[in-house]
Amino acid sequence: MQGEEAALACVDVSVRFGAVAALSGVSLAFAPGRIHAVVGQNGAGKTTFARVCAGMVRPTAGELRIGAQPVPVGKVNAARAAGVELVHQSFALPPSFTIAESMEFGATGSGGIFTRRALEARWTGHLKSLGVDTNLRTRIRDLPVETRQAVEIARALVTDAKILILDEPTAVLSPAGVATLFERLRLLSRRGVTIILILHKIREVLDIAETISVLRGGRLIEAAIPVAAIDAARLATAIIGTPSGSIEAADQAALVGGGGGAAPVETARVSAAAPAGPPVFEMAGVDTRPDGEGRALEGASLTIRRGEIVGVAGVEGNGQHTLVRALAGLAGLDRGSICLGGTDVTAHALAQRRAAGLRIIPFDRNSEGLSLTSALWENWSARRLLLGRLLSPIAPSRLRNACHASLKEWDVRFADTGQPAGSLSGGNAQKVILAREIDADASLVIAAQPTRGLDIGATAFVWQALRASRDRGCGVLLISSDLDELFDIADRVVVMLSGRIAAEFSAPYNLAAVGAAMTGAPQ
Amino acid sequence: MKGKVLSVLRALAFVVVALALCGVVFELAGFSAPLMFQSIADGAFTSPNALMKSLRWAMPLLITACGVLVSFRCGYFNVGAQGQFYLGAIGATVAVEALNGAPPALVVPVAIASGMVGGALWAAWPGFLRIRWGTDEVITTLMGNFLAGLLLVYLTSGPLKDPSGTGQVTASRPVALGYRIATSVGVSPTIIALTLATLVLVWLLVNRTAFGVLSSLAGRNPVMIVWQGAKLSSLGLSAFLVSGALAGLAGAIELLGPNGRLVSGFLPGHGFTAVLIALVAGLSVTGVAVVSMFFGGLAAASLYLPVIAGLPAAAIDVINAAIALFITARTFPLPAALLERLPARRPAP
Amino acid sequence: MSDILIAVLRSGTPLIYVALAGMLAQRAGVWHLGLEGLMIAGACAAAVGVEQTGSVAAGLALAVLVCVLGSTLLWFVVEKLRANPIIAGLGLTGLGLGGADLTVQSIYGSEASVTAGAGLPRLGDAFGAFGVLSVLVAAMPVVVLLLWVLLRRTRFGLRLAACGEHPFAARSVGVAPSRMRLIALMGGGVLCALGGAELALGTLQLFSNNMTAGRGFMAFAAVIFGGGHPIGSALAALFFSIVEAAGIKAQLVFGEKAPRDLLLALPYLATVIGVWISGRLRGGLKAAASGGELRDN
Repeated sequence: MQGEEAALACVDVSVRFGAVAALSGVSLAFAPGRIHAVVGQNGAGKTTFARVCAGMVRPTAGELRIGAQPVPVGKVNAARAAGVELVHQSFALPPSFTIAESMEFGATGSGGIFTRRALEARWTGHLKSLGVDTNLRTRIRDLPVETRQAVEIARALVTDAKILILDEPTAVLSPAGVATLFERLRLLSRRGVTIILILHKIREVLDIAETISVLRGGRLIEAAIPVAAIDAARLATAIIGTPSGSIEAADQAALVGGGGGAAPVETARVSAAAPAGPPVFEMAGVDTRPDGEGRALEGASLTIRRGEIVGVAGVEGNGQHTLVRALAGLAGLDRGSICLGGTDVTAHALAQRRAAGLRIIPFDRNSEGLSLTSALWENWSARRLLLGRLLSPIAPSRLRNACHASLKEWDVRFADTGQPAGSLSGGNAQKVILAREIDADASLVIAAQPTRGLDIGATAFVWQALRASRDRGCGVLLISSDLDELFDIADRVVVMLSGRIAAEFSAPYNLAAVGAAMTGAPQ
Repeated sequence: MKGKVLSVLRALAFVVVALALCGVVFELAGFSAPLMFQSIADGAFTSPNALMKSLRWAMPLLITACGVLVSFRCGYFNVGAQGQFYLGAIGATVAVEALNGAPPALVVPVAIASGMVGGALWAAWPGFLRIRWGTDEVITTLMGNFLAGLLLVYLTSGPLKDPSGTGQVTASRPVALGYRIATSVGVSPTIIALTLATLVLVWLLVNRTAFGVLSSLAGRNPVMIVWQGAKLSSLGLSAFLVSGALAGLAGAIELLGPNGRLVSGFLPGHGFTAVLIALVAGLSVTGVAVVSMFFGGLAAASLYLPVIAGLPAAAIDVINAAIALFITARTFPLPAALLERLPARRPAP
Repeated sequence: MSDILIAVLRSGTPLIYVALAGMLAQRAGVWHLGLEGLMIAGACAAAVGVEQTGSVAAGLALAVLVCVLGSTLLWFVVEKLRANPIIAGLGLTGLGLGGADLTVQSIYGSEASVTAGAGLPRLGDAFGAFGVLSVLVAAMPVVVLLLWVLLRRTRFGLRLAACGEHPFAARSVGVAPSRMRLIALMGGGVLCALGGAELALGTLQLFSNNMTAGRGFMAFAAVIFGGGHPIGSALAALFFSIVEAAGIKAQLVFGEKAPRDLLLALPYLATVIGVWISGRLRGGLKAAASGGELRDN
């Protein structure tokens, strides 16, 4: 860094949320015009770091410098004026806006009254230069996820941004989409934009970054070291910390996204159980009614056997949510049938399907999985209470005791069964859901993105739980956007594309082939 | 437990803030605030007679508030207690008129049941619209209040009009003395028994049945409970029906008890006050029992003020409204710099 | 024909102003159930102001002052104290109704109404039969149009909409949703004052207790029915007034044969039906209140 003015520098930045220290004394400087990566596992403080740089989070201590100038912290406008822009992981554009409106909404400088046509004329060139050719009247909510991200990046560049921060931009993309994104970023870098990527996959980091910084538990472990000076193994250790004995090597590699090297991971792990048993779940030719809640299924067919984990890969927005809703009986079916344990449950409500052994770990832990403001015991008992009649008497103390025992068994860290579910960390909250959903009567467990946002320990815990269910004879359906995760624990992987099951793969998996199937490219 | 104490303290603190705001309003409107509060206390609490009157107003309020509590816990803003209360009174009147001459042991229970059905029906249509089509229940139940008010005017000046009444007052024929469950004093063993029974039953429903736990979950997060396999329609519609039936019960009690006949526009603030009671009580049944007494006192004072102290009864409306304004507040006002440090609205990950 | 049109414009104009206020708040992400209270406060302040000073301008100024203060109070309670906007709004409504009652009693003894003695300026003979309408009626379409331009054709409008639809998006470009909501609510306060003033001073030059009779809630329903769009909300409000005027007309035509109270119920029924239809069209609340922050209790 000597002799070169940093494009962006954080000096001794600390952030606390209540009692939790999200960042502790992070000092980091980024050289201009390069591509930098900030890596770490979930909960390491990466997102907080990005938000501090962009002025969205005010640090408890520390300061921010751009060039030699200090920038007021915690003020988005100040950061934007200094040329710092952030592309969020969960996209941040109002879904009802058109592409043109999305550009104008973030623009600075004089505005005045516009017409639709003038607005489109103003932004066409800007969007074209960034590779967005979609009609500018298209609404954000109607865009496929790749285009949406490109629009978000274009939005961030409406001002003359000198520093572009992207928070986990690859999480929702197919391998081909990642390649396109990286091309785009290299182009921007050549134009002189300093790029800071928040990532957690070693393979991707080594592919694109020029310098690497590692965060762990809110502390800086490695500070902007050149990529040539570090190898995958050392990076993996930096991210995970002292290798934990309880996590197998293959799992560890999957956790950090190809710790073994830059090449696509090809694992050859076989199911610990005997060859899979009879089908526990059969879905044949299912079409769902369009209901404005995600892409409809179009002729989706899938079979899951007892004792196997079936992984579902696919770019987000290709019908994964609808698949889960259809299995749960929460999406209207136009055609096709669904069988559970040999019984046709197509016309059955979720309560009946659950009684037949269906268990669901839904996509969104915080809204679909738990009621965050309700007590743990209430969250835990919901499934059981729904088996009986509405007016059946209950004894809260007995339920609380049962809940206490179950949560202890699942290693949940909690103080009291009366505390609200929202007071638990993400990993503990997911364990509460596991404790509720995985029991002896389960015959089919659907796990939708069960490890999203969890740290490494919790992720490994969830994987163990799913494997244990499989070994007990359950069928498991795992939907994930993380191919490393799928390749590590699934016995079979199917790919969803445009609302149907488009391809099926079995171990050993070939990343390139699966990636091609995800985008529908001819092989 | 600590959380409960805190929330009670917070509710109390905001009631104090609201009263302070009212003091300012009184002074601005040209009244002496200390005199006003003194008169209100006189009308509500400071003598056995006043306490008796407070109890008279507290009991119907308690019943309606229990109903409001059931729907609010389930996540439905049924603010139509006023209309459901009116329909309860109308239902009871219709039953009394139809069975006129039959023995009280038959008429009184039937009239009460009819009132509960009336209230439940008036809650059923907004509930159905909400659950079937997502129609905003705040608007439909509010409109239901206006519609019920007009229906009451129509009935008391038309089909149910007291033929011997003068042209000016729109009221129904007085309920025969034999069917009355209380005199105009409004405190009688029957009413006390009905109130206590409601209190116990609603407590059991909320705290000792699956419905209580599931409806509370549904109220806090309807999505989660749907993913657990619950049918929101049955949970929600039951909540609306119970809620309406209890408001109807209060209406029937008013009619057979202290009121004695249907009068257009009677007890105009009853439903809104019941909503307040449920909220101030933090949607807890035991809380409702305590808080009802306070608001019953205010209701008693609103009759006392104009008659004895020569002050406007609207003062009580202002107090109620100010409490409504603040009661759901979740944070104390803190300096902005301090607020920004708190993760009050932590952005979604 | 023109008498019906005049009746519709007379009853519709106050409703439209108040609906526009609700629409502003809605776009910024606040469920404004205090409209009824602000409307009555505006009407009361306007009438009392005129009666006390003899100046219509002073009456209007007082109405605007009162309504903007009321809006600010609601904003403080909802944004700073994080109260539930529905209950707080109902509280503001109660405060307006009770406060108006209290004011009238304190100034005029026990009277339940105030005769203002002067009204808003009329359009005058140049407009023929429509000359009896007040200037605020003529200004109404202009206000609707201006708001449409402001909200749909300026960057400010986009940012305001973002605050309601996706506050996080607004924050991420440096827009403070809280401040935008204050602006929207205060602007809405001015509109409510105009609506209230038109109600009290447009035709009757009279204020009486409870004279809004639920119009504020109807205006709120018009916002939902109109999809939160300025022109849509105005049209929805106009529709409710047409129903009301039709009810009054039916009463004149059929006289005693039509039950008066049931005809009075027509606008309330229309409101219920309007909200029901918009729920069916747009998936109801989910679309109208996509700011998930608003209704989490």
